[in-house]
Amino acid sequence: MKSKHVYFAALCIILLLNVILTQKMVHQFYFEHYTNTIMLGLLNIVLFPLAILIYKRDRKAEVKDE
Amino acid sequence: MTDKNNKIPFDEDNYTHNINRTNERKLDRRGFMKTLVGAAGVFALSSLPWGAVAAKELSGLWEKEYPHKKITDVNAIAIGDAVDFTFPGEHDNAILIRLTEHKYVAYQNACTHLRCPVFWEKEEQQMLCPCHHGKFDVATGNPTAGPPRRPLPAIEVKVEKGAVFAVKVKRYEV
Repeated sequence: MKSKHVYFAALCIILLLNVILTQKMVHQFYFEHYTNTIMLGLLNIVLFPLAILIYKRDRKAEVKDE
Repeated sequence: MTDKNNKIPFDEDNYTHNINRTNERKLDRRGFMKTLVGAAGVFALSSLPWGAVAAKELSGLWEKEYPHKKITDVNAIAIGDAVDFTFPGEHDNAILIRLTEHKYVAYQNACTHLRCPVFWEKEEQQMLCPCHHGKFDVATGNPTAGPPRRPLPAIEVKVEKGAVFAVKVKRYEV
């Protein structure tokens, strides 16, 4: 599989994880399980720098290909 | 400077206006990847208020004792009947149901599915939400039918001096 497809798929998977974690987090909030809410929120927040990292690697890979 | 105004097209010298974007996509691969990263950022930002309120609830700073509110007199409500009231705030609708002569249950009225008011059907003796036919068990508040997944928050009530008082909203049992 070409590396540019891999990076694209990785970012799409991160977005999917974001949506899933956000829903789980809100459900836990309404069930009053507040520790679970905070943990899922932190996971959600951690996905953002991960997305930036993958984007930067994608840029580097594209420059190398040129 | 103004000699090129209102003359379409004017003679170009190709030092400027030499980028021809007529057939290019407005959103290319790089732009799309940036959008995906930005969306991840928006989700991360959106989880901050939920985490903040959850932390506040955990720390217990928000536990507030509300004054016990009189709902109704014991004589005014028949067995198997229900009374609407609001507790703790004016916009928190609630319902009190008299099951037997001495047994009262009270719940916050907003259906845990999409917050439609839950009604007490006297003939069938059941709690029903009309929006999506969600039903709740009157003894515990647990959902027994329909889309709701969470039980109705129970309100602790006490009977004193011939009247029924609302004491506090109970947290979900762990």
